[in-house]
Amino acid sequence: MSNTTTRWLWHALAVALLAALGTGLYIASKRIDYTWRWERIPQYLISTEGEDLKAPFDGFIVVSEDGKQLSMTAMRGSETHDFTGFSRILSNNGDLVFEGDVVAKTDQVGPGPLLVGLWLTLKISALSLVFALLLGLVFGLGRVSKNPAARDLAAFYVEVIRGTPLLVQIFIVYFFIGTVLQLSAFAAGVVALAVFTGAYVAEIVRAGIEAVPKRQTEAAQSVGLSGAQTMMYVILPQATRRILPPLAGQSINLIKDSSLVSVMALTDLTKAGREVVSSTFSPFEVWFTVALMYLLLTGVLSVAVRRLEKRYASQD
Amino acid sequence: MTNPVLIEAKNVEKRYPNGVLGLKTASLAVKAGEVVVIVGPSGSGKSTLLRTFNGLEAITAGEIVVDGHGLHERGADLRALRQRVGMVFQQFNLFPHLTVLENLTLAPRKVLKLSESEAVERALALLKKVGLSDKAERYPSQLSGGQQQRVAIARALAMQPAVILFDEPTSALDPEMVGEVLEVMRQLATEGMTMCVVTHEMGFARAVANRVIFMDAGEILCEDPPAAFFDAPKHERLRSFLRQVL
Repeated sequence: MSNTTTRWLWHALAVALLAALGTGLYIASKRIDYTWRWERIPQYLISTEGEDLKAPFDGFIVVSEDGKQLSMTAMRGSETHDFTGFSRILSNNGDLVFEGDVVAKTDQVGPGPLLVGLWLTLKISALSLVFALLLGLVFGLGRVSKNPAARDLAAFYVEVIRGTPLLVQIFIVYFFIGTVLQLSAFAAGVVALAVFTGAYVAEIVRAGIEAVPKRQTEAAQSVGLSGAQTMMYVILPQATRRILPPLAGQSINLIKDSSLVSVMALTDLTKAGREVVSSTFSPFEVWFTVALMYLLLTGVLSVAVRRLEKRYASQD
Repeated sequence: MTNPVLIEAKNVEKRYPNGVLGLKTASLAVKAGEVVVIVGPSGSGKSTLLRTFNGLEAITAGEIVVDGHGLHERGADLRALRQRVGMVFQQFNLFPHLTVLENLTLAPRKVLKLSESEAVERALALLKKVGLSDKAERYPSQLSGGQQQRVAIARALAMQPAVILFDEPTSALDPEMVGEVLEVMRQLATEGMTMCVVTHEMGFARAVANRVIFMDAGEILCEDPPAAFFDAPKHERLRSFLRQVL
């Protein structure tokens, strides 16, 4: 049997095992008397609910014969109001409605709560990543600095952050720093995630710099480059290639860690999931969907980074 | 010779933090236009001595003056000095992420503040000189060892140094590539470049050097013009060393 055939057989075995696992879970779920209602999920991804059109004053509804025009006349006085942009009329001709009553709905297709949550997760992750990279670069350089004060400060930052749980940090940032500096929940989330991830990025940057042979520094110095120039033009470009793969892993961690900001008043993907569960009572479907959405986000990122890596590697 | 002294080392001592003595009371003077070759068994401190001349290796006692810069002085301006002292390493140490041309133009542009076009012009002239005009756009990893070392020599020359230090420039090369590198060095010597060379190439020492220096156990044991050095070695240790290498 050829090598390729053998390899495909092993792949097939893996697929078969996964399928068996899935079937097992399905059978198990049958036994706990759970009604799967997957059909409820799409409306929380894409919302067709539309906006409410409300009566501006107390009065009577007027619907035209063909049902294409909707207006109302005031109960007292001669005021009239025409409704536009509606798709569904929720009231009948001649109905008496009061100010604030919903008389019709628009037909807008918009993102449902899960997609809105995904967007917030994406936004908070991207923004935190940018600041985390900056923090990581600064403190990573601090770690390898010749200046003892810079080394101490960087080591202090890294040790404190890596030695405490992210959830606790989020509480501290939200309740203490957020209160002192009057930060919004979103800003507090970005600060907490950036500071946390920055400590790990700093270690990645330090390791990347230290992995560049010392000979390169000597060569750069022997042609007269200054310390900063050596770092900028010789060491960092070479370190970048080594830094990229672990950095990708850390970015993926950041996206996953961002689910913890749901403890603040932030409706990210996880919090949205929790809200949807409480209105559908379908926790299994919702959490599987949420997991899949996270997987999509991290998957796209890891493909993008692999592309970038290939481009860097081709310079060798 | 009435030429000015470019490198003057007096009673240089290098003691490592663990107490081992790498160099003891080594004294050496290199005049402009001279080619000085340092030989000796491995671990004799010859590379260490060479590396003290551009401050890559700090000394613990004695004094070194290179081209008017006192290296032993506190706050010595190493950067200014290193612009005047080129170095060629055993492992070439080219910048792998830059093309050959960029390797040659980086320091002239960033340190000497040459314009891009001036730096490129200078680099291309040097590549022609070392016979690698067609490799300007290649990356170091695409070149053979001998070609890489020739690029490294060109990179040192691009700073127009007063002296070039060669630290075992042919030791990492396959035998068939040693010749091309030595040929470039020989050509430099004929053009009057001041050179300080640590090498095991005795043929090169005999043919090109003005003086040959023998080091053992961190000490300079003897120093002679090549004819006397090889044909009438004065020191017993040198005699046994020459018997082994020749």
